[in-house]
Amino acid sequence: MYLSNYTNQAILLKNKEFNVIVTIENKSFINDPEGETIYHDLILKNKYNNIKSVRTAKVLKLIVNAKNPIQATLSVKKMCEDLRIFNPIVSDCQVNIISDE
Amino acid sequence: MEILTESELKYLKKKLKREPNRLEKEIVGAQWSEHCSYKSSKKYIKLLSKDWKGIIKGPGYDAGIIDIGNGDVITIHIESHNHPSAVEPYGGAATGVGGIIRDIISMGTMPIALLNALRFGHIKSPFASNEISISREKDNELYSYSKWLLKNVVRGIADYGNCIGIPTVGGEIEFDESFTNYCLVDVAAIGFGKRKNLIGNIIQEDDIIILAGSSTGRDGIHGASFASKELAKENRSAVQIPDPFMEKLLIEVTKEAIEANILKAVKDLGGGGLSCCLSETAANLNKGFEIALDKVPIKYHDMEPQEIMISESQERMLYIMNKGNFKSFAKILNKYEVPFAIIGSVKNHKNLVICKNGKTIAKMPSHLIAYAPLLNRNSRKPKYIEDLRVKKISVKLPHDLKKTFLNMLANPTIAFKYWVFQQFDHEIGLRTIVKPGMTNSAVIKLNNDKFLAAKLDGNSKVCYQDPYEGTLSCLSEARANIISSGGHPIGIVDHLQFGNPENPEIFWTFQKSIEAMIDFSNFNKIPIVGGKVSFYNETKIGPIKPSPVIGMLGLIEGMTCISKIRPTPHDTLYIVGITSDDMGGSEYFQFLNGVTGGTVPKLDLQIDLINADIISRIIKEQLISCSHDCSKGGLSIALAEMAMGSHCGINIDLDKVPNNCKRVDFLLFAETPSRFIIGTKNEEKLEKELSKYKNLKYSKIGKVTGYGDNITFASKNKKIIDIEMELAKKYFESISSIMENH
Repeated sequence: MYLSNYTNQAILLKNKEFNVIVTIENKSFINDPEGETIYHDLILKNKYNNIKSVRTAKVLKLIVNAKNPIQATLSVKKMCEDLRIFNPIVSDCQVNIISDE
Repeated sequence: MEILTESELKYLKKKLKREPNRLEKEIVGAQWSEHCSYKSSKKYIKLLSKDWKGIIKGPGYDAGIIDIGNGDVITIHIESHNHPSAVEPYGGAATGVGGIIRDIISMGTMPIALLNALRFGHIKSPFASNEISISREKDNELYSYSKWLLKNVVRGIADYGNCIGIPTVGGEIEFDESFTNYCLVDVAAIGFGKRKNLIGNIIQEDDIIILAGSSTGRDGIHGASFASKELAKENRSAVQIPDPFMEKLLIEVTKEAIEANILKAVKDLGGGGLSCCLSETAANLNKGFEIALDKVPIKYHDMEPQEIMISESQERMLYIMNKGNFKSFAKILNKYEVPFAIIGSVKNHKNLVICKNGKTIAKMPSHLIAYAPLLNRNSRKPKYIEDLRVKKISVKLPHDLKKTFLNMLANPTIAFKYWVFQQFDHEIGLRTIVKPGMTNSAVIKLNNDKFLAAKLDGNSKVCYQDPYEGTLSCLSEARANIISSGGHPIGIVDHLQFGNPENPEIFWTFQKSIEAMIDFSNFNKIPIVGGKVSFYNETKIGPIKPSPVIGMLGLIEGMTCISKIRPTPHDTLYIVGITSDDMGGSEYFQFLNGVTGGTVPKLDLQIDLINADIISRIIKEQLISCSHDCSKGGLSIALAEMAMGSHCGINIDLDKVPNNCKRVDFLLFAETPSRFIIGTKNEEKLEKELSKYKNLKYSKIGKVTGYGDNITFASKNKKIIDIEMELAKKYFESISSIMENH
């Protein structure tokens, strides 16, 4: 028991923390009423005519303990799929690492 | 994917006397899908009686319209969104609600209430230890998928209804393994309005056609044909995103335009998009339309004409009016900031003409598009039905009936659906008198002296074993619910959901279901005012069980006639009706024992009507304090619901219950129709009234005791079930803990 705890801790110490950003947004051909409302009722009404389109998305900022960036990304991807954090039929889910401090 | 079948293409060519172009094929393909054209079912739907007094519009319209006197009308419609919900439960269920609301406003009435009937695969319940959960222990993934569907479907319905401020007043949920990896999402909407405000639907040449609401995008393309295919071959792009706030604006626009008497015709855009909306409207109103496709507001510049015609973008409405009224209508639309465009005009030539930049790109008679060639589907009685009927079944008499009873209470199909309806705003609008929960039916207030009872009912387990008797049971149950609430039935809507109609055995079950509808409606003289048919409800594991869902409306004349299920302490309880041991399709057999088979309860139409009439009469004469029908789970569950509803104990003597059951567990859980439980403080008067009916089976079966007392059932002077109120409630309310531990 002690031994296994010790080993886990050793692994944790060896691992690094990664800042992972998960972006979930409706697929490009699927509607985004929220984005459209922001665009038409806020941006265009206030004459920011240079802006051509708005799409909304949901962002999760995670701090992940992993050996390397690839493992961090893979574990977050798996978590998102297992827990159905997004529906792959409707949304795209991008997992990015912003730093590895 | 071929849009049209070979014979349909041949028929189209013959009628057009030329080769249709791609756009024309797409338009016809959307409209001739099973979903829009009812090509398999129309012949049978036509058999429903149409000439009823007080029915302004019956089957075949966006919604049925019932005249309730004093210039008031009720509209009702039911629709499903099964295929979209099975892949995207949140958006699918929400847009289903949106579609049904637009049907109600298309008639010129305002929606006042929503109901839903939902069907899912089993969810794992640690409270109910039954055969299924033991044998399915390994299928955790399936359980969690069902839970995910349930969670998101409920959230979708709740969010949409709550956002636009229409109360969701009731519903029902059934769990069965034939819905594994799938779900049935039926929503019904009720509208209320003035007869004088109904949309006239008379149009003239040169009237203008306006499309208002969301702009047209690529969402839901091929949605209608997607709903007409089995899920395994689905086109996964058929996902629709809800925008309830746009819907709310469309409701307000339509309401104001109706009051200003501007609109000549209104139609919502649903399955099949512009194609279906334009062709059906033109054909129904016997006119032609000339549409400038380049005027349709679109989301993407590169959209092809066929994409614009068949896109199922949500929250769009079509309005037709006299040119002279345009200015005032535009003022209303601008006030609510609803995007719109004049997309064409009415012509006398009866064709649907689609133009782009002044050039005609499609031209076909609207009647040809709107009326698909009907099919003669083969039908054959499935072999399994006879096999199941004669199958030798052995269900052991349980040692511990108390445990069995608790397991039945925790059965998710039977258990309290608090977790579900607490998400719905069921009071907004201030019309809801009887709220969801332990009720017979929802009751909503129409005006000072008129109330409406509404209920949806379905039972796929019985319908699977005998679609005719099963459908009759659903109808009887819906009526029993309306009667128990104090209403008299004024209309039925049905939603008939089956697998692939090309399979003769499935088509046979559909035919039997329609036969039952016709027989019940004609015998009881309750009009069928609308409905929907949904085929191709199949998954990789096979077709769903036949799942007709019945909606019934009842009018209650006055507040004093509203009857509730909650007894008060020291009421005497009676049962009306006889209990028999036809256990086929019962929750006791199927859920608890994992047994499919046995004879299903047979409905005697005459007895059913007499019992309902008597209950109706004694409620009106105020001889009883509470009433409840016996349905899923049988007598014991109905009594437990009454007890838990008022938190009062009950003592029931099972030997007093009129029955022909061989065993006590059958007596407790048989789902024989035409039974009612009533409570009274006026035994003498009630018995005097009941004894007037010679052949009526009724009996005094027990007493309501005090608050918080036990629920007990006795037989042969021995308490066979004796359960503390709190324990019963813990099992009955277990859905909340199942869902919250998700």
